[in-house]
Amino acid sequence: MEQVQNIMKKPKSLISLGVNTQDARISLTYFTTSFATLLIGGILGLIQGLERAGLYQLPQGFNYYQVLSAHGLLLLVVFTATFTIGYQLANLSYAFGGLLPGVRKMVWTGIFLKLAGVILTVTMIALNEASVLYTFYPPLAAHPLFYVGLVILVLGIWSVCLAVFINYRHWRKEHPGQTTPILSFFAMGVFILWFFASLGVTIEVFMIIPWVLGITETINVMVTRTLFWWFGHTLVNIWYIVAISAWYIIVPKIIGGRHFNEKLIRLVVILLVILNIPGGFHHQIVDPGISLTIKFLHVFMSLSIAVPSLMTAFAMFYVMEKAGRKKGGQGLFGWFRKLPWGDVRFLAPMIAMIAFIPGGAGGIVNTSNQMNQVIHNTMWVVGHFHLTVGVSVVLTFFGICYWLIPHLSKRQLTQRMNKIGIIQTWIWTAGMAIMAGSMHIAGLIGDPRRTSDTTYGGSDIALSWLSYEYIFAIGAALLFAGVIIQVFAVFHMMFFAPKGHTEYPVALPEEDQPAVPMWTERWGLWSILLIAVVAMAYVIPIVDMIVNAPPGSPPFRTW
Amino acid sequence: MKQAGYGLTLYIILILPPVSELLESMMVFHMHTQMPLFVFSGFLIAPFLQRKFPNFFNKWNRTGIPGLLLVVLIWTYWQLPRAMDDALLLTMVELFKFISLPFLVGVPLHDSWKKVNAKVQYSFLIYIFLSLIITGFLYIWLDEQICNNYLVIEQQTLGWSSLAMGFCLLLYLSMKLFGKENTM
Repeated sequence: MEQVQNIMKKPKSLISLGVNTQDARISLTYFTTSFATLLIGGILGLIQGLERAGLYQLPQGFNYYQVLSAHGLLLLVVFTATFTIGYQLANLSYAFGGLLPGVRKMVWTGIFLKLAGVILTVTMIALNEASVLYTFYPPLAAHPLFYVGLVILVLGIWSVCLAVFINYRHWRKEHPGQTTPILSFFAMGVFILWFFASLGVTIEVFMIIPWVLGITETINVMVTRTLFWWFGHTLVNIWYIVAISAWYIIVPKIIGGRHFNEKLIRLVVILLVILNIPGGFHHQIVDPGISLTIKFLHVFMSLSIAVPSLMTAFAMFYVMEKAGRKKGGQGLFGWFRKLPWGDVRFLAPMIAMIAFIPGGAGGIVNTSNQMNQVIHNTMWVVGHFHLTVGVSVVLTFFGICYWLIPHLSKRQLTQRMNKIGIIQTWIWTAGMAIMAGSMHIAGLIGDPRRTSDTTYGGSDIALSWLSYEYIFAIGAALLFAGVIIQVFAVFHMMFFAPKGHTEYPVALPEEDQPAVPMWTERWGLWSILLIAVVAMAYVIPIVDMIVNAPPGSPPFRTW
Repeated sequence: MKQAGYGLTLYIILILPPVSELLESMMVFHMHTQMPLFVFSGFLIAPFLQRKFPNFFNKWNRTGIPGLLLVVLIWTYWQLPRAMDDALLLTMVELFKFISLPFLVGVPLHDSWKKVNAKVQYSFLIYIFLSLIITGFLYIWLDEQICNNYLVIEQQTLGWSSLAMGFCLLLYLSMKLFGKENTM
């Protein structure tokens, strides 16, 4: 709370810093889209939780898979993407002192393209023409306009990627011999990974469109699944880089500390960018048609992400312990109590970080061949991504809102709003703990995912899942309450909070740190290494899938 | 010293029978993972050897050109499908691979790289690029099995992998030639 009060007493010299007003409008537009999407996606999530537990029947004309498709697409693609872009552009504007005018135009173009794409895809789902789930891979076939919408959505993302690359290049040219500010370095990592991630899904969609139009009769299902997870898994790590940009740089400032050695931070970003894409194969670990040797070797590719993740964990604990001890924390864990637990800007990302410990451990289970076979098609996986995305990523995003949105809208984070944020964070944490926890257990005893009705004619085993499904519904209800509070908080801070200034909390490096090495800025080289790693990982299975292809599949509409 | 330790550790891991068997079980891993990793291990060990035997390197590789010629000669030999076959069938050839790639490619490459000028460095990279592209197309287009130990699909896979690596090298060369930084 002390921190919140301090924000309002900032010296004038700091008030002059911040995001350019025109760029703030861009970020706020993204956040408006993002949280409107969260509201709709949250309602759909609640409906699903209640329907799955048998407590609610969907109205005539709607089906479970339709709701599931919309929930997945809106929250996993639209909510996270729009938040990420809004936040990263604000960071870039802060770091570079404003975006270039041409870049702003490209970003606005990106917003309109993305909105058009989302409207088209969601309309197709609402019309029950695209109940193909978030993964949308063949042989399920949606209406062609659904895929056209996805193409437009990707074009919107590319427009923003290109804009960021141009702005970065311009800054480097204007500041020869200087390393870019750390927040912009994170932004480059995010958008480079996004660009390369979306290449896989773009190729997939261009294979699907002629297939659903009837121009090609069949499609290679294995190749499309592989291309989807090229994108799908990388998206997870794009969220992760966005989250750690706040953990490394924002959280230390909020707790009154300094950020960790910048060389290590940059190395973590570079490793995440280079090693990420092939991790997608662990999503296909039970797929036929990929040899065991390849699956075995891909375990290394997936687990390589654990290296930068552990580097982050150790670095964050170091930063927090140091800040806690500076405030007088004694003994082994005394520093822990000294952290600002009453400040939502810290509490939310801190719970997010803590959740990453069980989330990461669950990820290792999913990556391991034998253990994956136990949990693959069960609710365990749903619990896993609600824990990782729903807590580690989303709570970080929520925590960012409480300083970024008032900063952008030139308003204050009041004590009352901070308290609302604390309540929201605990409700969300409880909801996710209940829902994701019970999903993990239900999955271990066999409850399948992506299935509307799991009573299986009243078999004893199937009925034993029911009590857990009631608990999903309780968790979903709490989460919905969390969504309502969060959406209220965001729009209140955007339009109704008292006018004033809120600090952009960017931590400084520790004193006497060595200069940041210039070699970290070699994004061209990192991109080439990324391509080389992707080539090494994908060439064997994809050549095998094409040369030894089974008969292709015609389109199926199962709903 | 630390770097040489990493290189030696990598070398020992690579020659362990389960690791070498796994990496040799697929043609593309044999050529594009095991062999470059052997070279890399030698590359890491090189500074230790350079410090230990400075006179040897000064006497035999003063300009860097002899070392680079040795690298090209040995690397070209290991591009031959026959060489891979022999390594799998004959213990002596396998032993030669374990010694030649780290110590006759990795070590001289490290010693020569800073001694030669940028033009020679580019020429070497262009040679690697061309070898990747030529072998790539060769492996993709040939319908016949050219390695007794690997299936046709494996050689096609290696072909695509060679093209992909060639593409990466082309990007790197373009970045170097047309980008701002022109030094290696």
